[in-house]
Amino acid sequence: MKKLKMGFCLLLAALTTASLSACGGNSQSSDSTGSAGELNIFVWTEYVPDSVIEQFEEETGIKVNVSTYSSNEDMLAKVKSEGEGTYDIVQPTDYMVEQMISQGLLQELDQSKLTNLSNIGESYLNPSYDPGNVYSVPYQGGAAAIAVNTSKVPSGTITSYADLFDSQYANSMVVLDDFRAIIGMAAKSLGYSMSETDPDKLAEISERLLSLKDNIKLYDSDSPKSALISGDCYLGVIWSAEIALAMDENPDIEIVYPSEGAYLFMDNWCVTKGAKNYDQAMEFINYMLKPETAQMVMQEYPYLNPNTTALEGMEDDYKNNTAKNPPAEDIAKGEYIKNLDTDTLAIYDQMWTELKK
Amino acid sequence: MKTKKGAAISIATMVSPVTLWMAFFIAIPLLYVAVMSFCGTDENYNVVFRLTLENYRRLLDPSYLQIYMQSILIAFLTTAFCILLGYPFAFLIARTKSRKKALLYMLVIIPFWTNSLIRIYGWRTFLSASGMLNTLLMKLNLIDTQIDFLYNIGTTVFGMVYCLFPFMILPLYTAIEKLDINLLEASSDLGARGASTFFHIILPLTASGIFSGSIMVFIPALGYFFVADILGGGNSDVIGNLIERQFQSGNNWPLGAALSMILIGITLLLVKLYQKCGGDMESLGV
Amino acid sequence: MVRTQKRKLKKGLGVGYCALIYLFLFLPIAVIITNSFNATTSKPYMTWKGFTFDWYIKLFDNSALLDSFGNTILIAVCSTVLATCIGTLAAVGMYRYRFRGKGVIDALLYIPVVIPEIVLGIALLTLFAKTSIPRGILSLVLAHTTFSIPFVVFNIRARLTGYDNSVEEASMDLGAGKVETFFRITVPILAPAIGGGALLAFTLSIDDVIISYFTNGQTKTFPLKVMESIKSGVSPDVNALSTLILAGTTLLVILTQSNLFKRRK
Repeated sequence: MKKLKMGFCLLLAALTTASLSACGGNSQSSDSTGSAGELNIFVWTEYVPDSVIEQFEEETGIKVNVSTYSSNEDMLAKVKSEGEGTYDIVQPTDYMVEQMISQGLLQELDQSKLTNLSNIGESYLNPSYDPGNVYSVPYQGGAAAIAVNTSKVPSGTITSYADLFDSQYANSMVVLDDFRAIIGMAAKSLGYSMSETDPDKLAEISERLLSLKDNIKLYDSDSPKSALISGDCYLGVIWSAEIALAMDENPDIEIVYPSEGAYLFMDNWCVTKGAKNYDQAMEFINYMLKPETAQMVMQEYPYLNPNTTALEGMEDDYKNNTAKNPPAEDIAKGEYIKNLDTDTLAIYDQMWTELKK
Repeated sequence: MKTKKGAAISIATMVSPVTLWMAFFIAIPLLYVAVMSFCGTDENYNVVFRLTLENYRRLLDPSYLQIYMQSILIAFLTTAFCILLGYPFAFLIARTKSRKKALLYMLVIIPFWTNSLIRIYGWRTFLSASGMLNTLLMKLNLIDTQIDFLYNIGTTVFGMVYCLFPFMILPLYTAIEKLDINLLEASSDLGARGASTFFHIILPLTASGIFSGSIMVFIPALGYFFVADILGGGNSDVIGNLIERQFQSGNNWPLGAALSMILIGITLLLVKLYQKCGGDMESLGV
Repeated sequence: MVRTQKRKLKKGLGVGYCALIYLFLFLPIAVIITNSFNATTSKPYMTWKGFTFDWYIKLFDNSALLDSFGNTILIAVCSTVLATCIGTLAAVGMYRYRFRGKGVIDALLYIPVVIPEIVLGIALLTLFAKTSIPRGILSLVLAHTTFSIPFVVFNIRARLTGYDNSVEEASMDLGAGKVETFFRITVPILAPAIGGGALLAFTLSIDDVIISYFTNGQTKTFPLKVMESIKSGVSPDVNALSTLILAGTTLLVILTQSNLFKRRK
């Protein structure tokens, strides 16, 4: 009995030490930071470099708490189910900004505080989903392009989304776990819009989508480059920067912008309604608009960057890298998706469930 | 102190905390989920309280039924492999005359003190196309090109077996340990051979262990979505994945609630089956 | 002669089989420990780039990771204490007395044990969302306590069979009140069972993934932090922390168990 008691006391002591040291570890770091307040950001995985956040924390003394998501719908679900103001900053994509505005989930941005906004290229400002940039400021964008491992598939064989449906590519692809992107790809391969609503066309798209099922080996929106780098997949329909990073690790990998036009996206900084740290949020967004910050971001996550001042300052091999800096003609061909009504969404959801079973 | 009033007060103080807790955190939420399963959503994904059977109608669609079947198949295979692999192991450990028996038992439990997610990730790293297993096999010249171990139903079953293995071993161990060695000796004295003894004596007496282990493996296997995600690559969705999706990206809580009700229904059926086979509720969860 | 050879063969097969199963159980652990020494610095941290102890040091700079571990311990301790108190009272009360509604409480206790965790997870999420209970440490403690209570109750109940309350009666005859008797007589006698239940509750809380996934809000627990890391590639400091935790718990078990071993001899 005594020995058991001793055992439990040891256990309790060890645990207390462990939790104290863990807390001690935090309080050390939060003594130097956190004096200027806190900030809760909810951002895409593999999108905002740790180094940028750390630098912001050091320069401003604001402690930043980071949570991540890998799809707009996931983000929307969390923002709605958590209490108002749980997250100060979110990063919705174009169509999601529109939706969140209509649902009253976003706050207006005080443009007077965004002194670095002039660095953003004119063509990226005043978008159709948020005229006047009342609620959003663009961060980075890009395409869902095709990745090809040329050691398995010779260069030039694949030039379009349609090519990927060939049965010889069974069990070879990694695709985004994003129903709008992949259903959009199927639609594009038939020449339809990615936000198609016509029921007959949707039936065709559904059939087309299912014909891809055997070729898909893995769904991954978080770090799809991993499957390409490890060799588990030799084809992919993934974010352009992920392809760029895979290409850096393995020179055999190539990027192909589909001839039908790619799925395009532009992500934005927004502040949620009821955000508890509005001032810190504005400071953060303004910080992200600095050319130096944008360059740091591009080095680590090479997406299409609307910060033209920053882009001009990048090295030539960055600017010429078609994966890191998507060529203008491919962007012109591409399509941004639009919001869908509830009934059509139910059809899309059904298609997606059918595909993933 | 044995007055009725005294006893009543005692009962109240001892049992009301748990009653209140369970009522508030189990009964009420589950009732709410049940009600929500009959609701719909508006364009803003908010739950709307107009009762409808729409969710259930959608979920009894053939495409969904196929997913349930697949999920049940995965759970069944998981259970089967746990029994086939686990029974001999549990038997050998439980009946060993080695002095290190307690140590052997501990060695089964120790891996499960490491976070289960990271162990599943360890398997993913190991089985990857450029992972240690493929590299080893190629170095030994056993294969020419890498084998695709990952991202199929087999890997998901493998992962489930790995995670749920102790839930089969522990009840089996308890049941096998209770076997009276005299019965085994008597059986062989009466001329029965090994196999006969096994099927007629050992198996029936340890059946309770197999049953409780099966329940503790089968039911979770229907809901372990993270195993299907990490090892299955999103190709082998189980019912848990469906539910998770509706509460996250699907933004359709009522549909998710209806799926949960279906899952509860399957669970209740299995428990009833378990009880019919003579299963003892007491032996679950201990 | 043939018989002993046969027996040796059987024994050999048995040992071999057990060894294989142990290999199966420990293989990913070996992978984790090995990777904690990986000198890689680039995501997704998959290729082996040499041996180093660096990550064990870098681990203590990773405040997000340490925070998550601290959260996990805090939640585990709180929920264990809460579940043990409520559960012990319930187990003894239900064993000792007969009353109406006992069957209902019993059924309620079985629910978290039997139903898949995901159902409990979403049910609790719905509850917290509806009642505006702040999602974070509080909701996690409440959720963990909820699934731990039944295990505590069942564990204690299992050891209560044949419990002789003559000692308690003697204590009360000698003038001690009910409460005093409970704490000075009943609890010490049941200590091993209570300890077992508490340990089980603690273990369940530390490794909980599914229920925490739905009820955590922004707070990260260690399993959830690992889940997040898996998405972008697990950096070796997570491996390092897992290795340290494993070493720590193994050490603790050896210390407490060796006490018991000594007692036997």
